[in-house]
Amino acid sequence: MATTRRNTSQRLTLVILLLASITVITLDYRGSASRDIGSLRSAARDVISPIQRGISAALRPVGNFFAGAVNYGSAAAENGRLQNEIGTLRRQVLENAQAEHQLQQILSLQHLPFVQNIPTADAEVISGSTSNFQLTIEIDRGTSNGVAVGMPVVSGAGLVGDVIAAGSSTSVVQLMTDPRSDVGVSFGPSSSVAVAQGQGAGAPLSLLDVTASMTPKVGERVYTSGITGANNYPGGIPVGYITSVSPPNGSLTRTVLVQPYASFSDIQYVSVMQWLPPA
Amino acid sequence: MSVQAWARFAVVLIVAAVVQVGLLNSVQVAGAHPDVFLLIAVVAGLLRGPQKGATMGFFTGLVADLFVATPYGLSSFCFVLVAFSVGLAAGLPGGRAPYSFRVMTAVLGGIGGTLLFAGLETLIGQPHPDVRQLAAICGVVALGNAVLVVPTVAIVQRAVPSGGASQREAAALSGGSSPAR
Repeated sequence: MATTRRNTSQRLTLVILLLASITVITLDYRGSASRDIGSLRSAARDVISPIQRGISAALRPVGNFFAGAVNYGSAAAENGRLQNEIGTLRRQVLENAQAEHQLQQILSLQHLPFVQNIPTADAEVISGSTSNFQLTIEIDRGTSNGVAVGMPVVSGAGLVGDVIAAGSSTSVVQLMTDPRSDVGVSFGPSSSVAVAQGQGAGAPLSLLDVTASMTPKVGERVYTSGITGANNYPGGIPVGYITSVSPPNGSLTRTVLVQPYASFSDIQYVSVMQWLPPA
Repeated sequence: MSVQAWARFAVVLIVAAVVQVGLLNSVQVAGAHPDVFLLIAVVAGLLRGPQKGATMGFFTGLVADLFVATPYGLSSFCFVLVAFSVGLAAGLPGGRAPYSFRVMTAVLGGIGGTLLFAGLETLIGQPHPDVRQLAAICGVVALGNAVLVVPTVAIVQRAVPSGGASQREAAALSGGSSPAR
Protein backbone atom coordinates (compact mmCIF):
# COMPACT_ATOMS: atom_id res chain seq x y z
CA MET A 1 0.00 0.00 0.00
CA ALA A 2 2.77 2.40 1.00
CA THR A 3 4.79 1.42 -2.08
CA THR A 4 1.81 2.13 -4.36
CA ARG A 5 1.31 5.55 -2.74
CA ARG A 6 5.01 6.33 -3.13
CA ASN A 7 4.99 5.28 -6.79
CA THR A 8 1.93 7.45 -7.48
CA SER A 9 3.60 10.40 -5.74
CA GLN A 10 6.79 9.89 -7.78
CA ARG A 11 4.87 9.76 -11.05
CA LEU A 12 2.86 12.83 -10.10
CA THR A 13 6.06 14.76 -9.33
CA LEU A 14 7.56 13.66 -12.66
CA VAL A 15 4.49 14.80 -14.61
CA ILE A 16 4.38 18.16 -12.80
CA LEU A 17 8.08 18.83 -13.43
CA LEU A 18 7.82 17.86 -17.11
CA LEU A 19 4.77 20.09 -17.54
CA ALA A 20 6.62 22.93 -15.80
CA SER A 21 9.55 22.47 -18.21
CA ILE A 22 7.23 22.46 -21.23
CA THR A 23 5.56 25.63 -19.93
CA VAL A 24 8.94 27.37 -19.61
CA ILE A 25 9.95 26.25 -23.13
CA THR A 26 6.65 27.52 -24.53
CA LEU A 27 7.00 30.86 -22.74
CA ASP A 28 10.51 31.25 -24.14
CA TYR A 29 9.39 30.32 -27.65
CA ARG A 30 6.13 32.20 -27.97
CA GLY A 31 5.32 34.23 -24.90
CA SER A 32 6.19 37.75 -23.86
CA ALA A 33 8.49 36.22 -21.23
CA SER A 34 11.08 35.61 -23.95
CA ARG A 35 12.59 39.09 -23.48
CA ASP A 36 12.70 38.67 -19.69
CA ILE A 37 14.47 35.33 -20.09
CA GLY A 38 16.97 37.00 -22.43
CA SER A 39 17.63 39.70 -19.82
CA LEU A 40 18.04 37.03 -17.13
CA ARG A 41 20.57 35.19 -19.28
CA SER A 42 22.53 38.39 -19.98
CA ALA A 43 22.55 39.25 -16.26
CA ALA A 44 23.80 35.75 -15.36
CA ARG A 45 26.64 36.03 -17.90
CA ASP A 46 27.57 39.51 -16.67
CA VAL A 47 27.72 38.30 -13.07
CA ILE A 48 29.97 35.38 -13.90
CA SER A 49 32.18 37.11 -16.49
CA PRO A 50 34.74 38.66 -14.07
CA ILE A 51 35.50 35.20 -12.62
CA GLN A 52 35.51 33.78 -16.12
CA ARG A 53 38.03 36.36 -17.33
CA GLY A 54 40.28 35.70 -14.33
CA ILE A 55 40.28 31.94 -14.91
CA SER A 56 40.76 32.42 -18.66
CA ALA A 57 43.71 34.78 -18.12
CA ALA A 58 45.27 32.42 -15.57
CA LEU A 59 44.90 29.22 -17.56
CA ARG A 60 45.61 30.46 -21.09
CA PRO A 61 49.43 30.61 -20.69
CA VAL A 62 49.41 27.06 -19.29
CA GLY A 63 47.32 25.83 -22.22
CA ASN A 64 49.50 27.69 -24.72
CA PHE A 65 52.65 26.20 -23.17
CA PHE A 66 51.42 22.62 -23.54
CA ALA A 67 49.98 23.26 -27.00
CA GLY A 68 53.30 24.80 -28.08
CA ALA A 69 55.34 21.91 -26.68
CA VAL A 70 53.17 19.26 -28.33
CA ASN A 71 52.91 21.05 -31.69
CA TYR A 72 56.47 22.47 -31.90
CA GLY A 73 57.33 20.84 -35.26
CA SER A 74 54.16 21.85 -37.05
CA ALA A 75 54.28 25.33 -35.47
CA ALA A 76 57.79 25.93 -36.87
CA ALA A 77 56.71 24.78 -40.34
CA GLU A 78 53.58 26.91 -40.16
CA ASN A 79 55.65 29.93 -39.09
CA GLY A 80 57.77 29.63 -42.25
CA ARG A 81 54.68 29.26 -44.42
CA LEU A 82 53.02 32.28 -42.79
CA GLN A 83 56.13 34.43 -43.26
CA ASN A 84 55.99 33.65 -46.96
CA GLU A 85 52.26 34.39 -47.02
CA ILE A 86 52.80 37.76 -45.31
CA GLY A 87 55.21 38.76 -48.07
CA THR A 88 52.68 37.82 -50.73
CA LEU A 89 49.89 39.66 -48.94
CA ARG A 90 51.98 42.84 -48.54
CA ARG A 91 52.48 42.89 -52.28
CA GLN A 92 48.77 42.29 -52.88
CA VAL A 93 47.83 45.14 -50.50
CA LEU A 94 49.91 47.55 -52.54
CA GLU A 95 48.36 46.28 -55.75
CA ASN A 96 44.84 46.50 -54.34
CA ALA A 97 45.14 49.98 -52.87
CA GLN A 98 44.21 51.72 -56.10
CA ALA A 99 41.29 49.38 -56.81
CA GLU A 100 40.02 49.85 -53.25
CA HIS A 101 40.12 53.63 -53.60
CA GLN A 102 38.04 53.44 -56.76
CA LEU A 103 35.58 51.02 -55.15
CA GLN A 104 35.10 53.33 -52.16
CA GLN A 105 34.26 56.19 -54.48
CA ILE A 106 31.69 54.12 -56.37
CA LEU A 107 30.09 52.78 -53.17
CA SER A 108 29.87 56.24 -51.61
CA LEU A 109 28.07 57.45 -54.73
CA GLN A 110 25.59 54.55 -54.31
CA HIS A 111 25.28 55.18 -50.50
CA LEU A 112 26.44 51.63 -49.76
CA PRO A 113 28.61 50.74 -46.73
CA PHE A 114 32.24 49.78 -47.38
CA VAL A 115 33.50 47.06 -45.08
CA GLN A 116 36.73 48.81 -44.18
CA ASN A 117 34.89 52.01 -43.20
CA ILE A 118 32.70 50.32 -40.59
CA PRO A 119 33.88 51.00 -37.01
CA THR A 120 34.85 47.93 -34.99
CA ALA A 121 35.19 47.00 -31.33
CA ASP A 122 38.07 44.62 -30.62
CA ALA A 123 37.25 41.84 -28.17
CA GLU A 124 38.88 38.89 -26.45
CA VAL A 125 37.29 35.46 -26.47
CA ILE A 126 36.72 34.50 -22.83
CA SER A 127 34.87 31.20 -23.23
CA GLY A 128 33.56 28.62 -25.63
CA SER A 129 29.99 27.41 -25.69
CA THR A 130 28.46 25.98 -22.52
CA SER A 131 26.28 23.70 -24.64
CA ASN A 132 27.82 20.90 -26.67
CA PHE A 133 25.00 21.40 -29.16
CA GLN A 134 25.84 24.96 -30.13
CA LEU A 135 28.87 26.53 -31.73
CA THR A 136 29.25 29.84 -29.95
CA ILE A 137 31.97 31.85 -28.25
CA GLU A 138 31.68 34.44 -25.51
CA ILE A 139 33.53 37.75 -25.85
CA ASP A 140 34.41 40.41 -23.29
CA ARG A 141 32.50 43.26 -24.98
CA GLY A 142 28.83 44.07 -24.54
CA THR A 143 26.24 46.79 -24.94
CA SER A 144 28.37 49.20 -22.89
CA ASN A 145 30.98 48.95 -25.68
CA GLY A 146 28.46 49.53 -28.47
CA VAL A 147 27.89 45.85 -29.25
CA ALA A 148 24.35 44.83 -30.21
CA VAL A 149 22.57 41.68 -31.32
CA GLY A 150 22.96 41.08 -35.07
CA MET A 151 26.38 42.71 -35.48
CA PRO A 152 28.89 40.76 -37.59
CA VAL A 153 32.05 39.47 -35.92
CA VAL A 154 35.30 39.03 -37.85
CA SER A 155 38.82 37.86 -37.15
CA GLY A 156 41.96 38.83 -39.03
CA ALA A 157 41.20 36.08 -41.55
CA GLY A 158 37.52 36.74 -42.24
CA LEU A 159 33.97 36.31 -41.02
CA VAL A 160 33.52 34.51 -37.69
CA GLY A 161 29.78 34.85 -37.08
CA ASP A 162 27.31 37.27 -35.54
CA VAL A 163 26.25 38.44 -32.09
CA ILE A 164 23.17 36.54 -30.88
CA ALA A 165 23.04 37.82 -27.28
CA ALA A 166 24.52 40.91 -25.69
CA GLY A 167 24.84 41.70 -21.99
CA SER A 168 26.33 44.91 -20.63
CA SER A 169 29.91 43.58 -20.53
CA THR A 170 29.84 40.30 -22.47
CA SER A 171 28.25 38.97 -25.65
CA VAL A 172 27.61 35.59 -27.24
CA VAL A 173 28.70 35.10 -30.85
CA GLN A 174 27.21 32.32 -32.97
CA LEU A 175 29.94 30.88 -35.19
CA MET A 176 29.10 30.56 -38.88
CA THR A 177 29.88 26.82 -38.66
CA ASP A 178 26.85 26.35 -36.35
CA PRO A 179 24.06 24.51 -38.20
CA ARG A 180 21.70 27.39 -37.26
CA SER A 181 23.85 29.87 -39.16
CA ASP A 182 23.02 31.06 -42.70
CA VAL A 183 25.24 33.58 -44.47
CA GLY A 184 24.32 35.19 -47.78
CA VAL A 185 27.43 34.93 -49.98
CA SER A 186 28.66 35.71 -53.46
CA PHE A 187 31.41 34.02 -55.48
CA GLY A 188 32.97 33.85 -58.90
CA PRO A 189 33.57 36.45 -61.60
CA SER A 190 29.84 37.02 -62.06
CA SER A 191 29.26 37.36 -58.29
CA SER A 192 26.78 34.48 -58.14
CA VAL A 193 24.67 34.67 -54.98
CA ALA A 194 23.99 31.71 -52.65
CA VAL A 195 23.59 30.92 -48.96
CA ALA A 196 26.39 29.32 -46.91
CA GLN A 197 25.09 27.11 -44.12
CA GLY A 198 27.10 25.79 -41.16
CA GLN A 199 27.48 22.02 -40.78
CA GLY A 200 29.02 21.70 -37.35
CA ALA A 201 32.43 21.86 -35.68
CA GLY A 202 35.35 21.21 -38.02
CA ALA A 203 33.11 20.75 -41.05
CA PRO A 204 33.13 23.07 -44.08
CA LEU A 205 30.16 25.29 -44.91
CA SER A 206 27.66 24.03 -47.47
CA LEU A 207 26.40 26.32 -50.22
CA LEU A 208 22.62 26.27 -50.71
CA ASP A 209 20.62 27.67 -53.63
CA VAL A 210 23.36 26.92 -56.19
CA THR A 211 21.48 26.93 -59.50
CA ALA A 212 22.45 25.05 -62.67
CA SER A 213 23.52 28.29 -64.34
CA MET A 214 26.17 28.96 -61.69
CA THR A 215 29.68 27.66 -62.26
CA PRO A 216 31.42 27.43 -58.88
CA LYS A 217 35.08 26.39 -59.13
CA VAL A 218 37.38 24.90 -56.53
CA GLY A 219 39.59 27.61 -55.07
CA GLU A 220 37.20 30.49 -55.76
CA ARG A 221 36.89 33.00 -52.94
CA VAL A 222 33.55 33.46 -51.23
CA TYR A 223 32.49 36.80 -49.70
CA THR A 224 29.36 38.02 -47.92
CA SER A 225 26.91 39.23 -50.55
CA GLY A 226 25.46 42.13 -48.56
CA ILE A 227 22.04 41.62 -50.09
CA THR A 228 19.41 42.83 -47.63
CA GLY A 229 17.10 40.08 -46.49
CA ALA A 230 19.45 37.26 -47.46
CA ASN A 231 21.83 37.75 -44.55
CA ASN A 232 22.78 40.05 -41.71
CA TYR A 233 26.15 41.15 -43.00
CA PRO A 234 27.55 43.98 -45.07
CA GLY A 235 28.94 42.84 -48.42
CA GLY A 236 32.58 42.08 -49.08
CA ILE A 237 33.64 40.28 -45.88
CA PRO A 238 35.83 37.27 -46.77
CA VAL A 239 34.06 34.04 -45.77
CA GLY A 240 36.20 31.25 -47.22
CA TYR A 241 37.11 29.44 -50.41
CA ILE A 242 35.42 26.64 -52.35
CA THR A 243 37.04 23.26 -51.66
CA SER A 244 34.69 20.88 -53.44
CA VAL A 245 32.02 20.91 -56.17
CA SER A 246 30.24 17.65 -56.89
CA PRO A 247 29.17 16.92 -59.52
CA PRO A 248 31.29 19.64 -61.19
CA ASN A 249 28.74 21.13 -63.63
CA GLY A 250 25.30 20.89 -65.13
CA SER A 251 23.42 19.20 -62.30
CA LEU A 252 20.49 20.79 -60.51
CA THR A 253 21.59 19.42 -57.16
CA ARG A 254 25.23 20.12 -56.54
CA THR A 255 27.12 19.95 -53.28
CA VAL A 256 29.46 22.90 -52.94
CA LEU A 257 31.64 23.05 -49.84
CA VAL A 258 33.41 26.14 -48.53
CA GLN A 259 36.34 26.10 -46.12
CA PRO A 260 36.13 29.17 -43.84
CA TYR A 261 39.20 31.43 -43.71
CA ALA A 262 38.78 31.95 -39.96
CA SER A 263 40.16 29.26 -37.67
CA PHE A 264 37.64 28.49 -34.93
CA SER A 265 39.62 26.03 -32.82
CA ASP A 266 42.15 28.50 -31.43
CA ILE A 267 40.36 31.81 -31.86
CA GLN A 268 41.50 34.34 -29.24
CA TYR A 269 40.72 37.85 -30.49
CA VAL A 270 37.92 39.10 -32.74
CA SER A 271 36.45 42.41 -33.90
CA VAL A 272 32.76 43.26 -33.71
CA MET A 273 31.69 45.33 -36.72
CA GLN A 274 29.37 48.02 -35.39
CA TRP A 275 26.95 47.65 -38.22
CA LEU A 276 23.34 46.56 -38.15
CA PRO A 277 21.22 45.48 -41.08
CA PRO A 278 18.68 48.05 -42.24
CA ALA A 279 15.35 47.66 -40.42
CA MET B 1 14.32 18.96 1.86
CA SER B 2 14.77 21.94 4.18
CA VAL B 3 15.18 25.54 3.07
CA GLN B 4 18.82 25.39 4.22
CA ALA B 5 19.43 22.32 2.06
CA TRP B 6 17.94 24.09 -0.99
CA ALA B 7 20.11 27.16 -0.25
CA ARG B 8 23.22 24.97 -0.08
CA PHE B 9 22.18 23.26 -3.32
CA ALA B 10 21.80 26.72 -4.94
CA VAL B 11 25.40 27.49 -3.90
CA VAL B 12 26.49 24.18 -5.47
CA LEU B 13 24.79 25.22 -8.72
CA ILE B 14 26.52 28.62 -8.70
CA VAL B 15 29.90 26.94 -8.17
CA ALA B 16 29.02 24.49 -10.96
CA ALA B 17 28.26 27.41 -13.28
CA VAL B 18 31.65 28.99 -12.54
CA VAL B 19 33.46 25.67 -13.07
CA GLN B 20 31.56 24.92 -16.30
CA VAL B 21 31.80 28.38 -17.88
CA GLY B 22 35.25 29.31 -16.60
CA LEU B 23 37.02 25.98 -16.89
CA LEU B 24 35.24 23.03 -18.50
CA ASN B 25 34.08 24.94 -21.60
CA SER B 26 37.78 25.28 -22.50
CA VAL B 27 38.47 21.55 -22.13
CA GLN B 28 37.60 20.79 -25.73
CA VAL B 29 38.19 17.31 -27.12
CA ALA B 30 36.94 16.66 -30.67
CA GLY B 31 34.76 19.78 -30.40
CA ALA B 32 33.04 18.66 -27.18
CA HIS B 33 33.51 19.31 -23.47
CA PRO B 34 32.37 17.75 -20.17
CA ASP B 35 28.95 18.80 -18.83
CA VAL B 36 28.94 19.30 -15.07
CA PHE B 37 25.23 20.26 -14.97
CA LEU B 38 24.20 16.94 -16.47
CA LEU B 39 26.47 15.21 -13.97
CA ILE B 40 24.77 17.03 -11.08
CA ALA B 41 21.38 15.82 -12.35
CA VAL B 42 22.72 12.24 -12.45
CA VAL B 43 24.19 12.58 -8.95
CA ALA B 44 20.94 14.10 -7.63
CA GLY B 45 19.05 11.03 -8.85
CA LEU B 46 21.70 8.73 -7.38
CA LEU B 47 21.72 10.32 -3.94
CA ARG B 48 18.12 11.48 -3.48
CA GLY B 49 16.09 8.99 -5.50
CA PRO B 50 13.65 9.64 -8.36
CA GLN B 51 11.32 12.18 -6.74
CA LYS B 52 13.70 14.63 -5.07
CA GLY B 53 16.39 13.93 -7.66
CA ALA B 54 14.03 14.97 -10.47
CA THR B 55 13.16 18.19 -8.60
CA MET B 56 16.86 18.95 -8.14
CA GLY B 57 17.42 18.10 -11.83
CA PHE B 58 14.68 20.56 -12.80
CA PHE B 59 16.38 23.46 -11.00
CA THR B 60 19.82 22.37 -12.27
CA GLY B 61 18.43 22.60 -15.80
CA LEU B 62 17.03 26.08 -15.19
CA VAL B 63 20.48 27.29 -14.08
CA ALA B 64 22.24 25.48 -16.96
CA ASP B 65 19.90 27.09 -19.48
CA LEU B 66 21.00 30.56 -18.35
CA PHE B 67 24.35 29.97 -20.05
CA VAL B 68 23.22 28.53 -23.39
CA ALA B 69 21.12 29.85 -26.24
CA THR B 70 18.96 26.76 -26.67
CA PRO B 71 15.27 27.16 -25.70
CA TYR B 72 14.96 27.94 -21.99
CA GLY B 73 13.60 24.90 -20.12
CA LEU B 74 14.94 22.28 -22.54
CA SER B 75 17.76 21.25 -20.19
CA SER B 76 15.25 21.12 -17.30
CA PHE B 77 13.04 18.73 -19.25
CA CYS B 78 16.04 16.56 -20.07
CA PHE B 79 17.55 16.63 -16.56
CA VAL B 80 14.20 15.76 -14.91
CA LEU B 81 13.99 12.60 -17.00
CA VAL B 82 17.66 11.74 -16.43
CA ALA B 83 17.52 12.25 -12.64
CA PHE B 84 14.24 10.34 -12.38
CA SER B 85 15.60 7.38 -14.38
CA VAL B 86 18.86 7.34 -12.41
CA GLY B 87 16.86 7.54 -9.17
CA LEU B 88 14.84 4.50 -10.18
CA ALA B 89 18.01 2.64 -11.18
CA ALA B 90 19.66 3.56 -7.86
CA GLY B 91 16.84 1.72 -6.08
CA LEU B 92 17.83 -1.53 -7.78
CA PRO B 93 20.05 -4.08 -6.00
CA GLY B 94 23.04 -2.91 -8.08
CA GLY B 95 22.77 0.43 -6.33
CA ARG B 96 24.37 -1.06 -3.24
CA ALA B 97 27.78 -1.27 -4.93
CA PRO B 98 28.69 2.38 -4.51
CA TYR B 99 31.85 3.00 -6.51
CA SER B 100 31.45 0.84 -9.61
CA PHE B 101 27.70 1.39 -9.77
CA ARG B 102 27.95 5.17 -9.45
CA VAL B 103 30.73 5.48 -12.03
CA MET B 104 28.80 3.27 -14.44
CA THR B 105 25.59 5.21 -13.81
CA ALA B 106 27.41 8.50 -14.36
CA VAL B 107 28.79 7.22 -17.68
CA LEU B 108 25.46 5.82 -18.86
CA GLY B 109 23.61 8.88 -17.56
CA GLY B 110 25.98 11.10 -19.54
CA ILE B 111 25.42 9.16 -22.74
CA GLY B 112 21.66 8.85 -22.19
CA GLY B 113 21.27 12.52 -21.25
CA THR B 114 23.23 13.65 -24.31
CA LEU B 115 21.20 11.47 -26.67
CA LEU B 116 17.96 12.57 -25.00
CA PHE B 117 18.91 16.25 -25.40
CA ALA B 118 19.76 15.69 -29.07
CA GLY B 119 16.41 13.94 -29.55
CA LEU B 120 14.51 16.75 -27.84
CA GLU B 121 16.27 19.33 -30.01
CA THR B 122 15.27 17.40 -33.12
CA LEU B 123 11.71 17.14 -31.81
CA ILE B 124 11.33 20.92 -31.47
CA GLY B 125 12.90 21.58 -34.86
CA GLN B 126 16.37 22.68 -33.77
CA PRO B 127 19.38 21.63 -35.86
CA HIS B 128 21.32 18.77 -34.33
CA PRO B 129 24.90 17.54 -34.79
CA ASP B 130 25.69 14.69 -37.18
CA VAL B 131 26.31 11.14 -35.92
CA ARG B 132 30.10 11.57 -35.79
CA GLN B 133 29.85 14.74 -33.70
CA LEU B 134 27.12 13.24 -31.49
CA ALA B 135 29.35 10.24 -30.79
CA ALA B 136 32.20 12.59 -29.85
CA ILE B 137 29.93 14.54 -27.48
CA CYS B 138 28.67 11.31 -25.85
CA GLY B 139 32.25 10.06 -25.40
CA VAL B 140 33.59 13.27 -23.89
CA VAL B 141 30.58 13.79 -21.59
CA ALA B 142 30.75 10.16 -20.42
CA LEU B 143 34.48 10.39 -19.76
CA GLY B 144 34.04 13.71 -17.94
CA ASN B 145 31.30 12.18 -15.79
CA ALA B 146 33.49 9.20 -14.93
CA VAL B 147 36.31 11.49 -13.82
CA LEU B 148 34.17 14.03 -11.96
CA VAL B 149 31.55 11.78 -10.35
CA VAL B 150 33.55 11.17 -7.16
CA PRO B 151 34.06 14.83 -6.17
CA THR B 152 30.56 15.75 -7.37
CA VAL B 153 28.94 13.04 -5.20
CA ALA B 154 30.96 14.24 -2.21
CA ILE B 155 29.98 17.89 -2.77
CA VAL B 156 26.27 17.26 -3.41
CA GLN B 157 26.09 14.82 -0.50
CA ARG B 158 27.68 17.38 1.80
CA ALA B 159 25.33 20.13 0.59
CA VAL B 160 22.17 18.05 0.61
CA PRO B 161 22.67 15.20 3.08
CA SER B 162 20.24 12.34 2.70
CA GLY B 163 20.80 10.33 5.87
CA GLY B 164 23.36 8.23 7.71
CA ALA B 165 23.74 5.35 5.27
CA SER B 166 24.21 7.61 2.26
CA GLN B 167 26.67 9.80 4.17
CA ARG B 168 28.79 6.75 4.99
CA GLU B 169 28.67 5.70 1.33
CA ALA B 170 29.66 9.17 0.16
CA ALA B 171 32.48 9.33 2.67
CA ALA B 172 33.75 5.92 1.53
CA LEU B 173 33.39 6.93 -2.12
CA SER B 174 35.29 10.18 -1.69
CA GLY B 175 38.06 8.41 0.20
CA GLY B 176 37.20 9.92 3.60
CA SER B 177 36.50 8.12 6.84
CA SER B 178 33.01 7.54 8.09
CA PRO B 179 32.23 8.78 11.59
CA ALA B 180 29.87 5.85 12.13
CA ARG B 181 32.56 3.23 11.54
